Amino acid sequence: MSLYEFWDYLVPGVALGALYAVIAIGYTLVYGVLQLINFAHSEVFMLGGFGSLIVLTAITPAHPSALGSVLLVLAGLVVSALVGGATAFGLEKVAYRPLRRRGAPKLIFLISAIGASFFLYNLAGKLFGRDPLPMPHLYDNNVVFTLFGARVTITQLLLLGCALAMMAGLDLLVNRTRLGAGIRALAQDAETASLMGVDTDRVISRTFLIGGLMGGVAGFLFGLNTQVSFTMGFNPGITAFAAAVLGGVGSIRGAMLGGLLLGLVENFDVPLFGEEWRYAAAFVVLVAVLMFRPTGILGVKLGRAA
Amino acid sequence: MLRKRLLQTAAPLVVGLLALTGCTKGDDQASADGKKLFKIAYEGPLTGENAALGAHMENGVKLAIQQANAKGDLPFTLQYVPGDDTGSADQAPAAAQKIIDDDAVIATIGPAFSAPTKAVGQLYSQANLLALTASASSPSLTTLGFTSFLRGIPNDNAQGGGMAVYYAKKLKAKKVFLVDDKTEYGVGLSAVAENDLKKAGVQVVRESVPQKTPDYTAVATEAKNSGADALIYAGFYADAAPFAKKLKEAGFDKPKIASDGTNDKKFVELAGGAAEGWLLTCPCVDPTVEPGIKKFTEDYKAAFKVDPGTYSAESYDATNLVIEQLKALGTGATRESLLAAVKKADYKGLTKRYHFDEKGEFPDKAAFLYQVENGKIVYKGDINVLAGS
Amino acid sequence: MSTVLQDRPKTVVVDVARLRRTRWHQQPRWRRLGALLALGALLTVMTGEQGSGKDLLYSLRGSLTSGRLWAFLGLGVAAWLLAELGAPVRTALRRAVRPAARARTWAAERRAVRLGGVLVVLALLIFVPLTLSKATNQVLVDWVGIYVLLALGLNVVIGWAGLLDLGFVAFFAIGGYSAAFWTGRLPVQPPVHLNPFLVIPVAMATCLVAGVLLGGPTLRLRGDYLAIVTLGFHEVIYLVAKNSDGLTGGSMGVFGIPHFSIDLGPIQYRWKLDPLDYWWLLLGLVVAVVLVLRRLEHSKVGRTWIAIREDEVAAAAHGVDTVRYKLMAFAIGASTSGAAGVVYASKVGFINPENFPLLYSVLVLAYVIFGGMGSVPGVLLGAGLLAWLPHALKDVVDQKDRFMYLGALLVAMMIYRPQGLLPARRRTSGGAK
Repeated sequence: MSLYEFWDYLVPGVALGALYAVIAIGYTLVYGVLQLINFAHSEVFMLGGFGSLIVLTAITPAHPSALGSVLLVLAGLVVSALVGGATAFGLEKVAYRPLRRRGAPKLIFLISAIGASFFLYNLAGKLFGRDPLPMPHLYDNNVVFTLFGARVTITQLLLLGCALAMMAGLDLLVNRTRLGAGIRALAQDAETASLMGVDTDRVISRTFLIGGLMGGVAGFLFGLNTQVSFTMGFNPGITAFAAAVLGGVGSIRGAMLGGLLLGLVENFDVPLFGEEWRYAAAFVVLVAVLMFRPTGILGVKLGRAA
Repeated sequence: MLRKRLLQTAAPLVVGLLALTGCTKGDDQASADGKKLFKIAYEGPLTGENAALGAHMENGVKLAIQQANAKGDLPFTLQYVPGDDTGSADQAPAAAQKIIDDDAVIATIGPAFSAPTKAVGQLYSQANLLALTASASSPSLTTLGFTSFLRGIPNDNAQGGGMAVYYAKKLKAKKVFLVDDKTEYGVGLSAVAENDLKKAGVQVVRESVPQKTPDYTAVATEAKNSGADALIYAGFYADAAPFAKKLKEAGFDKPKIASDGTNDKKFVELAGGAAEGWLLTCPCVDPTVEPGIKKFTEDYKAAFKVDPGTYSAESYDATNLVIEQLKALGTGATRESLLAAVKKADYKGLTKRYHFDEKGEFPDKAAFLYQVENGKIVYKGDINVLAGS
Repeated sequence: MSTVLQDRPKTVVVDVARLRRTRWHQQPRWRRLGALLALGALLTVMTGEQGSGKDLLYSLRGSLTSGRLWAFLGLGVAAWLLAELGAPVRTALRRAVRPAARARTWAAERRAVRLGGVLVVLALLIFVPLTLSKATNQVLVDWVGIYVLLALGLNVVIGWAGLLDLGFVAFFAIGGYSAAFWTGRLPVQPPVHLNPFLVIPVAMATCLVAGVLLGGPTLRLRGDYLAIVTLGFHEVIYLVAKNSDGLTGGSMGVFGIPHFSIDLGPIQYRWKLDPLDYWWLLLGLVVAVVLVLRRLEHSKVGRTWIAIREDEVAAAAHGVDTVRYKLMAFAIGASTSGAAGVVYASKVGFINPENFPLLYSVLVLAYVIFGGMGSVPGVLLGAGLLAWLPHALKDVVDQKDRFMYLGALLVAMMIYRPQGLLPARRRTSGGAK
């Protein structure tokens, strides 16, 4: 692989990695406050894609102007965020809160999550048809500039920009606000946090909401990059989940790092081993990292032992 | 403690099993108007990933049966039976067995896909029930010893070979970038194409991209960097569309050809402008363009409110072939006698002449070329003729 | 610390929440009404027409303007009224159920009755399929029998040892491909060709080794990490099956795996395409596995697993070699799965990588939890029922919606009966409060 080609694979790798990072944050946030793998997060992502698709299909004219394109993309972002947030919020209320009230074992949460995931993606398939659908044509996906010969397109910039903005916002939120303090407190010790006056239910609800907002936006961006279908959540969901674990589940910066790393691994895998080994390469990296750091790259204290 | 639980298991299980027993029903051999009833089944994907493709074929079968019944000159009544194998091998035995169990079923159109065919070919053979596929094109199917399996379509050798001929002879390509989707269909087809291209002295770069890959950018980049002067995609439209988009973004502007799994309106809808100029092959003719089958298209539209799709006309033909033979045999027809009759049949359908060699293979090799022009899939004609061979 | 089954004391959290003042719409009564109305709307949407990509809102619009919406909302209100005002009804219901429960306890305490019950069930399982259609028998073998065997294996790993394994079907695949290899159907030839019967122990051994190879380095990981690693293991096995054309036949699959046969002098029997033969074979395997597992459960090994599951640190402190026992659970579960793979491959005669998707690993897990984790009868019943359900639903609901209903069922089950259909005794008292 020449240096020239290196940049060719780096650019899409970073863009895809940013997308994975945004989804992975959804997993890691929920894991932080509930120690739960929110298996249904991939459906939040999928529904975010569908939400923006429905609205954009309705409002997009045949040939949007430049300003129109910008507004349409903004509309897509807002709608997908709202739908994703609402889905995650509802999911927590229906599928997890009753279990939490009862103090059910973790596995029960996991199965509930799997059930919710099955339900949601099949419901979406029923409601919106089972064929993939294209996002309306919002803009010509032209090359903006070339980076050492690699073409950088509008969609890739959009992906990266949105991901960076969301991650920066989240970082601020978690580290600077009262809600963020609640999230951190809950992640460290739920019981003590609740005794110290943290409204556990509310913090958990909002955590889901934030993860959902980001997951929904990721769904829209993914749809813009490829297409929308009721099964679109599965593969990116698994990879993002792996990314969260790779970075150290529960750690937000870890999720970003893990997502980026897996995006790169998946892209460089194509010239090195062949596209058909995409997922295998990602998992081999994951296992290799876990061998040496059993709690992930940035993973810290987790639970009491081992 | 454990035993108590075991006992608790007993009650619902017994009830369930008894309920199951109650479900097995006898067959009614006579229809409402007192005529003998024959059923024609279709086995293919009615749900799951490939449900859209399956629906095209199902409608073709249904239409043939409806028309035959409506004509009123049959000594028996025909009825349609669906069998949903979701296009996958693991669902196929139950679906096929359900068809076979129904004694009134006299023939099956299907299985639609190759992997399910491998899983159930023996079941059909054992039951002496004709399984006439209108779409399963893996060349190996007729070599596996199935005695009741017939293929009503040229196999992948024709299509893969057609692509190779077109590139080698017509475009004089030096290097072809060949992509399959890692399904049985895609891999089989691209193996044929690779073989034929190499025989013609064309260099081949082969890459496999599994279905539902989240991002095709990397492989599109590879296609461009490989320096190939033509590209083949063997797979289905749901994956071909994002691939086409990424190829365009990567700046790959060489000729591109895709197989019949991509030859669907949906490909153009999904890929938008990126689909423009793509060549598409199919062992099938276009029912909306080919003269002489306009009436079929109109009837189909009237019955199902949609245009016929890939393999609709072929399924319609296959069903009519069965009905014709059945009519000749009359009400005394059995699965065995129908199977024997169809094996020897020589039938002129809408799309082509149907006959079978001793293995049940379709002996004529034909593949047709289409191209996406201005957002429409336009029929070009026989690929071998176009390539000038 | 046991990972999967760890509880966190929630009572404190709940009490604190209770101290806060509630407004009217936060009162349980009105919340219940709201929930029931929402459920009614959801059911309306679920039972609507199939949508289409052409008009995205077609199905939703149809459902929400139909009379069904009002019917479901009405039902919701009726259910709410019954819950609010129906105290006498509920008492009456409870009273009506009591004799049945008493009879059950009576029967459960008598060994002869229990044994008789088991024998009756076994007899029914042997003879009833004779009267069923062949299509039903295909489902019984391909889905119910095979998945019961898989669930039994997974139950050891997750129910007893408490290890969250999301890649269990990988071992099923290894079993299937072992059958193909030892009968000489893969591109690589085996040293000797074996009868499928002989492949079973070989495949079990292969899976055992694979289980140890996977478990050795990964079992020191915590539960959720183990989950993703096992999931990755499945993905890798699946990709090897799919991509290594020279080794496994790749996407084209493997055709012509021979049927079982017995050839011992005077005793000769050949299994054929008939699903019944395979049903009895599977039934025999299941009974054998259950007998072995029952011995294990009440042995030192079984108790050690429970100890590890409940509190790994405490178990280790008591001198238990936790890694060894965890490995053992992993290997035993894996080998059961391997046996199932051999039977499946031989029965259908054809396997391809698509027989072993990731989805099925998740499904088996759901079956185990649904039946009752750690309880052998529960797992038998849960896996049997859930594996059979999609095929039963085939005629009742729109085929395309089967998994939607399955998902809804799982969520509802976890909310109202998280311990499973037939929970293990130890779990009812401790685990799921």
